[in-house]
Amino acid sequence: MRKILRWRWTPWAALAAAAIFPFIAGAIDAQYLVRVGGVIGLFMLLGLGLNFTLGYAGLFDLGFIAFYAIGAYTTAIAMRAGVPAPFALVLAVLVTLAVRALLGLTILRLRGDYLAVVTMGFGEIARLTINNLDALTNGPKGLQLAPWRPLSFLSADPNIQYYLMILLAVAAGVIASNRLEDSRVGRAWIAIREDEIAARLSGIPVRQYKLLAFTLSAAYAGLAGGLFAQWEQFVTPESFVFWESILVVSIVVLGGMGSIAGVLVGALVLVGFPPLMQWKLSADWINYRYLFFGLILVLVTLFRPQGILPSSRREAELTS
Amino acid sequence: MIFRRIAAIAAVALVAACGPKEKTIKIAVAVPLTGDMGTEGQGLRRAVELAVEEANAAKRFPYKLVAAPYDDRADPKEAVNVANLIISDPSVVAVVGHYNSGCATPAAKVYARAPVAMVSPAATNPEVTAQQNSPDWSGPRVVFRVVPTDDVQGSYAATFAAKKLGKKRMALLHDKSPYGQGLAEEFKKGFLAQGGKIVSEDGVSVGDKDFKALLTKIKNDASKPEGIYFGGLYTEAGLLLKQMRELGLNDPFAFISGDGAMTFGLFDVAGDSADGAYLSIVGVPADELPSAKKFVDDYKARFPNDERKPFDHFGYEAANIILAAMERAGGPDREKIIAELKKTKHEGVLGTTQFDDKGDTTSKIVTMTRAAAKKRAFDTVR
Amino acid sequence: MLIQQVVNGLTLGAIYSLIALGYTLVYGILTMINFAHSEVLMLGAFMALGLAALLPAVFGTGLVGLVGMFVLSMAGAGLINVLIERFAYRPLRNVSRLAPLISAIGVSIILQNGVFLWISTQSLRFPEPVAIGQVEVFGATISSLQIIILGLALGLMALLHFFVEHTKLGKAMRACSDDIQTAGLMGINPNYIIALTFFVGGALGGAAGVLYGMNYGSIKYNLGFLPGAKAFTAAVLGGIGNIRGAVLGGFILGFLEVLASGYIPNGAQWRDVIAFTVLIIVLLVRPSGLLGEKIAEKV
Repeated sequence: MRKILRWRWTPWAALAAAAIFPFIAGAIDAQYLVRVGGVIGLFMLLGLGLNFTLGYAGLFDLGFIAFYAIGAYTTAIAMRAGVPAPFALVLAVLVTLAVRALLGLTILRLRGDYLAVVTMGFGEIARLTINNLDALTNGPKGLQLAPWRPLSFLSADPNIQYYLMILLAVAAGVIASNRLEDSRVGRAWIAIREDEIAARLSGIPVRQYKLLAFTLSAAYAGLAGGLFAQWEQFVTPESFVFWESILVVSIVVLGGMGSIAGVLVGALVLVGFPPLMQWKLSADWINYRYLFFGLILVLVTLFRPQGILPSSRREAELTS
Repeated sequence: MIFRRIAAIAAVALVAACGPKEKTIKIAVAVPLTGDMGTEGQGLRRAVELAVEEANAAKRFPYKLVAAPYDDRADPKEAVNVANLIISDPSVVAVVGHYNSGCATPAAKVYARAPVAMVSPAATNPEVTAQQNSPDWSGPRVVFRVVPTDDVQGSYAATFAAKKLGKKRMALLHDKSPYGQGLAEEFKKGFLAQGGKIVSEDGVSVGDKDFKALLTKIKNDASKPEGIYFGGLYTEAGLLLKQMRELGLNDPFAFISGDGAMTFGLFDVAGDSADGAYLSIVGVPADELPSAKKFVDDYKARFPNDERKPFDHFGYEAANIILAAMERAGGPDREKIIAELKKTKHEGVLGTTQFDDKGDTTSKIVTMTRAAAKKRAFDTVR
Repeated sequence: MLIQQVVNGLTLGAIYSLIALGYTLVYGILTMINFAHSEVLMLGAFMALGLAALLPAVFGTGLVGLVGMFVLSMAGAGLINVLIERFAYRPLRNVSRLAPLISAIGVSIILQNGVFLWISTQSLRFPEPVAIGQVEVFGATISSLQIIILGLALGLMALLHFFVEHTKLGKAMRACSDDIQTAGLMGINPNYIIALTFFVGGALGGAAGVLYGMNYGSIKYNLGFLPGAKAFTAAVLGGIGNIRGAVLGGFILGFLEVLASGYIPNGAQWRDVIAFTVLIIVLLVRPSGLLGEKIAEKV
């Protein structure tokens, strides 16, 4: 198994398989999986984003979904104001980056669990503000978006179109993360996570690098939010509750903190499992989906606490 | 190693728990079955199951009918997931759902692609059907609604408060959900039009328990409100009532709310504090309509341990309307059922139900009731 | 109106404080956020309901019944917390900071869904063992229930204070909170003390759950989530790990919520936004919470 994972061409093979999948799904009666795949992809993006904050820089963020919301609502409001769809996406990323940077400048001096509560608080502030500012966001009634179907030449099915767009975004995200991981910046982040004081003493500008990691996360979330809004054509505050933030944290930790492959697998498992159960469990059992989900969380954590696919560094740390 | 073993056990268990693969005709029930709104969704599921079982027992159709549950957890993303799952199952002929407007709205777009009819028993935001008139809507009109939108109830309650109860100043509350806020906004419009004054407006959150501070503020408001109109569900309504009485806000200070609060669960939450609360429902109360009375009794007989929820009878009616359409269509054909649904003229627990060209029910009857805690009943107010 | 709002704030604050104490005790000793604490408090409420339902003659009525129901529910909740620690956290204690958290999240989901699936999906009526009356004080209507709740909460806090400050076991808990390794070297069995801490924290949470049920009259499987999240915020506001901080944070949060709902027009829907904003501002000025200690980092 490990040999397959380390094989140089595995990521490319996986990407190719994923890209072909929606076109063969119809034949094997699995169109539902295309939809699920798209949703998993969105959470892969979110996980990759949070990976910067939590996995690389070690900052405990419990309110990440707020930026997903900001991305989604920015896209919705922009498109309704007449901004063309691709620019709305770009705008979503820019706005999310700006808000995140501002937040980071304000709160990053806080330690560990205090940061966690403040980010949780910000997540709730964002959601409640969206829910209350009826004039701008239509409050609980939500906003509708016009459809954007740039890939109609490939397929008429919007699920397939967005699956592919999200796949493209995930691929780009993975490449970007990989590049950053292997750069000076990436090594600085790991140094900060391992021992902040030692990092500072060796000349790393800790505050700036933390802010960078914190802010970059938002780009992923903003993009994911924008794609989500355009796919569903509808945004409502109910999609961005605290639980979703916890889910993204679980994806990163369970997948393997700081490990790109781990985050992808984490999203696959944690986001894929409930819809899979909905599909395959008989009517009497679907109520038990989340009970099983909780059990899996506990069991996987107990028996593989380093994560499903931890980065080699982490594995070395935890098994020494 | 252990990890691998767990994965293996899980896989076997999953296969074992898989449903049987019979050939059946399904009516999908797409509602929140778990999570915060699970209580309401489970009620709807039971109601649809009752309708389906009755149809099977009466052998209305030459095949077995099943009420197939799908859990959307009141999460719009999950609702779209579920919608995709439903349309990919050819044995599903129509959908009773969703419960939340936030779920019904995006899910409807998916159903339109199939097309599969969606008959909602509880989503009251006008947008759910109105979106079908938008130029962005692709596909046929598949959304039907057996529950009236908020304007009907809200304005009726406003007239009741102003004319019948003679209130001039009311405090407005809602639970910041599409249902509650919509209802409250309609009440406000109607009340202001009758010359009344809305003294204060506040939103609470579903799941909140403590309203003492808010109620204290209303009690001491210099503009002296004569009552509260609350748009929301029975849990919050019940807690409001309980805490109102604890603060000394009794008659003639009125509490008026809508059908989301008119259920026996109100008495569980509020106990005797519920006494005297005014609650409007759409249509005629169950006890007064023979067909509805039968439903109430059958429900209690079939589900003795579960209480009827506010929207259950809507779910029952939605299922029966779908079954009637299927009969007229001559078989389990999705598109024919949609066509027949448009021509619905159904007599049932909601009285007469017809759909207008948007898919909304034409029924505009509202009845006001008053809660009588000692008898655990709601008396019609004439 | 002020007196009324003060009473409202005190009651709400008392409940938040009890829950916050549960979080802070566990954090103090393990630097871990017990995410499952909100479900422990919910289970406390359900246990009380169960006792009242199964043995109505004993627990349904009267002062003795009330106290008995309380004590047993607290003990039950404490025990559950200990079991959770033993099986879901202890194996992960030395692995990483975040692994126990994910485990806690899983436990929380399991408990909530367990109650939903096997006990009830509906709101259940919570018994009133003592007749509820009302008194008028300076224009404020205070229910005897509020007085009972406040009294019980303050009583429990006083008990905790006594236990932590003036008993040997309490001293051991404080020692472990300060430095668990050194405490171990001094002859204290850390596992035992950790279990004890979880028991006390869980018991307080369970007590809060029972009070919660009494105050609002009904309980449901998801009742723990919101108060848990708020109490956690309160614990952090006061300085997480600090017992006095948890109490202070709890009351401040209770009063903040009352102020927002009660005095700001349209404030009820912004209540949580205001509470969190205040939290952020406080933490910016005092990054370790109101009473938290500045931990000097050894270089």
